Amino acid sequence: MTVGKIHNQEAFLSNIAGQLGRERRTEGVQRPQWKKQPQQEVFAGASKEELQEILIRQCGTIHTSVDTTTTSDLPKTLNEALEKFGSSPAVYWEDERFHSFGLDPVLEALPESRAWSDEDREEMTAFAERAKIGVTFSDITLAESGTVVLFSAPGKGRAVSLLPEVHIALIPRSTLVPRMTQAAEEIHRMRKEEGRVPSCVNFISGPSNSADIEMRLLVGVHGPVSAHYIIIEDA
Amino acid sequence: MNVSLFITCLADAVYPSSVGRSTVEVLERLGCSVSFPRNQTCCGQPAFNSGYHKETQKVARHMIDTFEEAEWVVTPSGSCATMIHEYKKLFSDDEKWQKKAEDLAAKTYELTQFIVDVLGVENVGAEFHGSVTYHSSCHMTRLLGVKEAPRILLENVAGLTLTELPLKEHCCGFGGTFSVKMMPISQQMVDEKVQHIEETKASYLVGSDLGCLMNIGGRIERTGKPVEVLHIAEILNSRGEDAV
Amino acid sequence: MSIRISNKPFFERVEKGIDDEFMRSAVSGAQDRLEGRKAESTAELGTWEDWRDHAEEIRQHTLENLDFYLQQFAENAAAQGGHVFFAETKEEANEYIQSVIRRKEAKKVVKAKSMVTEEIGMNEAIRELDCEVIESDLGEWILQLDDHDPPSHIVVPALHKNKEQIRETFHEKRGYGKSSDPQELGRFAREQLRKEFLSADVGITGCNFAVAESGSVSLVTNEGNARMVTALPKTQISVMGMERIVPTWEELDVLVSMLCRSAVGQKLTSYITGLTPSKAQDEHAPEEFHIVIVDNGRSKILGTKYQSALQCIRCAACINVCPVYRHVGGHSYGSIYPGPIGAVLTPLLEGYENNKELPFASSLCAACTDACPVKIPLHELLLEHRRDIVEHEKGGFTEKMAMQGFAYAATHPKMFQFGGKAASPIVDRFSEKESGPGPVKLWTQIRTLPSQKDDRFRDWFEERERRNNGGKNS
Repeated sequence: MTVGKIHNQEAFLSNIAGQLGRERRTEGVQRPQWKKQPQQEVFAGASKEELQEILIRQCGTIHTSVDTTTTSDLPKTLNEALEKFGSSPAVYWEDERFHSFGLDPVLEALPESRAWSDEDREEMTAFAERAKIGVTFSDITLAESGTVVLFSAPGKGRAVSLLPEVHIALIPRSTLVPRMTQAAEEIHRMRKEEGRVPSCVNFISGPSNSADIEMRLLVGVHGPVSAHYIIIEDA
Repeated sequence: MNVSLFITCLADAVYPSSVGRSTVEVLERLGCSVSFPRNQTCCGQPAFNSGYHKETQKVARHMIDTFEEAEWVVTPSGSCATMIHEYKKLFSDDEKWQKKAEDLAAKTYELTQFIVDVLGVENVGAEFHGSVTYHSSCHMTRLLGVKEAPRILLENVAGLTLTELPLKEHCCGFGGTFSVKMMPISQQMVDEKVQHIEETKASYLVGSDLGCLMNIGGRIERTGKPVEVLHIAEILNSRGEDAV
Repeated sequence: MSIRISNKPFFERVEKGIDDEFMRSAVSGAQDRLEGRKAESTAELGTWEDWRDHAEEIRQHTLENLDFYLQQFAENAAAQGGHVFFAETKEEANEYIQSVIRRKEAKKVVKAKSMVTEEIGMNEAIRELDCEVIESDLGEWILQLDDHDPPSHIVVPALHKNKEQIRETFHEKRGYGKSSDPQELGRFAREQLRKEFLSADVGITGCNFAVAESGSVSLVTNEGNARMVTALPKTQISVMGMERIVPTWEELDVLVSMLCRSAVGQKLTSYITGLTPSKAQDEHAPEEFHIVIVDNGRSKILGTKYQSALQCIRCAACINVCPVYRHVGGHSYGSIYPGPIGAVLTPLLEGYENNKELPFASSLCAACTDACPVKIPLHELLLEHRRDIVEHEKGGFTEKMAMQGFAYAATHPKMFQFGGKAASPIVDRFSEKESGPGPVKLWTQIRTLPSQKDDRFRDWFEERERRNNGGKNS
């Protein structure tokens, strides 16, 4: 993609300015100092351990099972989780953290498993669609809502957390923050300092669900039927 | 305390004198001197809620003049008190009248609000033997912001058992002209309200707004339910004998 | 479809709603549940009123500077390779969307739930091209299969249908042979829709909030269908109402939090996705990303006393507490936007002509105003509508006479005292001539009036004063 096209902007925006009874504003608008910011108070000053407890409690609400493990036990814990959910086929990100946490042998030992590759999207999508399990790493984790935040990047295909029947998210405890506020601040910072944000930021809280039939909870409508978190006590 | 009573059209002209009488007697028992400015008419809600601003302005000016000298204005109706608090919106381009409207609003209270917040009384010494459920009127709770006062006063009435109404903050379907303009909808709303009242098994339905009480009471009577409807002033004025 | 979903007269629609017992019990059950969940999730914050103030301030600031933020958004999206089309009318929006579909020679479009695409009638426009368009939100899919039944709620569109009706629709249209168990119905929908996601050429979504600072579009769902729609097809089109924008991700946080809690009582829904056009070819992203920004009557609301209606974030909290909606259901409003916000918005977008009754279909109980997370004074806006309808002589002539008579009487105490007793039958007779039965008759059709004892308060008070003061009056 090169630079995109913008159509019909000036007429449209001039009309808006006219309706607002003033000249067009094209620059110089600053966000005001907001009078109240209650989002900053939620779990302010909580330790990682406290946030971990809040997260685990919230997982009960969002139909998500949780394991807690240490860095050294992680390969074993992941292996058990994979077995519990049917192991294979499994798809996971091409992500440096799988190497650094020593998880390659676990995944490579499965009968059928693949790391995401952007090279052949269609083939990878078909594989992810067929996969039983998708494994990802949380980039930022929100205690309040039990949310893993996934930033897209090369090798981190969007389909891995979406198409397989089970989504296993690996959560280094160091990624825990109180709520969405801190993730939003980080993305705002990325935009300001790095000039771009990931093309896809997914905030995922548990499995897919719907209440569209007589308001009854249906788990697993389009996305994963089950979600499982593994918290790694790395910090 | 010198209280000017704003009796409201329903309590003056449509209902028997008992609600007004009880209001006066309760206030006097609590040490107030009650006067009744004779020129008072209506707060203007029917016109205001139907979209007739100019007409409402006229009514508002009249009411402001009528109560100009009053120290406190007390009314046994949540929605009429609310309406007086709305007057300033009618005069957004008239500073003089806006100020007058604000002055009137500042001294105007719904009865239970006045007793609890101004007089600082939570027990009026009433005695009433019976099971009661209370209907929270919308304008009083949401717009005037009076939620607790009636409950506090009722809880302190000797002999009275208070049962909470299911979905107590749901509208009864009165809404002034709504009750006739949108009659089929209003009917469904009041029927659900009556059903909830029945579920409480209370013998009395009590409220602080005669509009709602006229609506719910009228439906209760038409459908032959064994529930009696009373204004809260009548309960607070009760001395232990049978209901007023 | 467009905003208007029925040409039947208002009271006919209301009657149909009231007669539909299943719908009504579904609606009241849903209201009680959703309202309960919302109450719980807002109470646990302990600072809900501060959140509302903050959200309101954000929405007001953004609307006041809407041209600036839309420009910033468009430039940032385009710099990353996105294409932005500003559409003043629904026709312009649809023509642009058609042009993309034509150029891509698309045969199948899969879409996520979006109120604005309903509003502009996009699906019909796409079908003109001999291209299939498939709704992927479970509720919307059910409605689509059922011969395009219109939505009755902006968050739970198929609220008015029961599982038997849904089973029947699945059976008839897709040969479904299993039970009406919601789990089984859901599994069937999953299988059916998976195929559609994988084979669609274009994915179309709405936009809960656009983020100006980065040119991003955010989507809030529980099902994950919006993720499917944006992760699988090679071309993505997002359609947004022009007011659905925030300055930065920090404000996105606040409004998304308000939306999730207000709509369904969740801290966050299962999926919140922020999508930004990307020039990087190595990322798993659509090859083309189009954003269509729709005015379609919104700009006329800016700068008027109704501007706050544009603060709406489509959470349906007002609908979930509305006692009128509770008893008549969504279709009675005749608009894709039902409930209090619908009664405010529909006449603004579509004019009074077909929507005169809507502002009056409220008891002004203000539950909506209390519930609104962005503090739109909904019941006050309904009053403003009534005022405009009345002042532009669209109210009934007799009612106007009666109201003028009322104002006269209420400023002339002597007359009022007489009128209190006599006015009702007069008003009654007046209005009967022009508009059927008058207020007293309508009142007494279903209710009894208080018995008219000759026992007026003012007589009692004056009598008492005479006794006490020897004849002096206050």
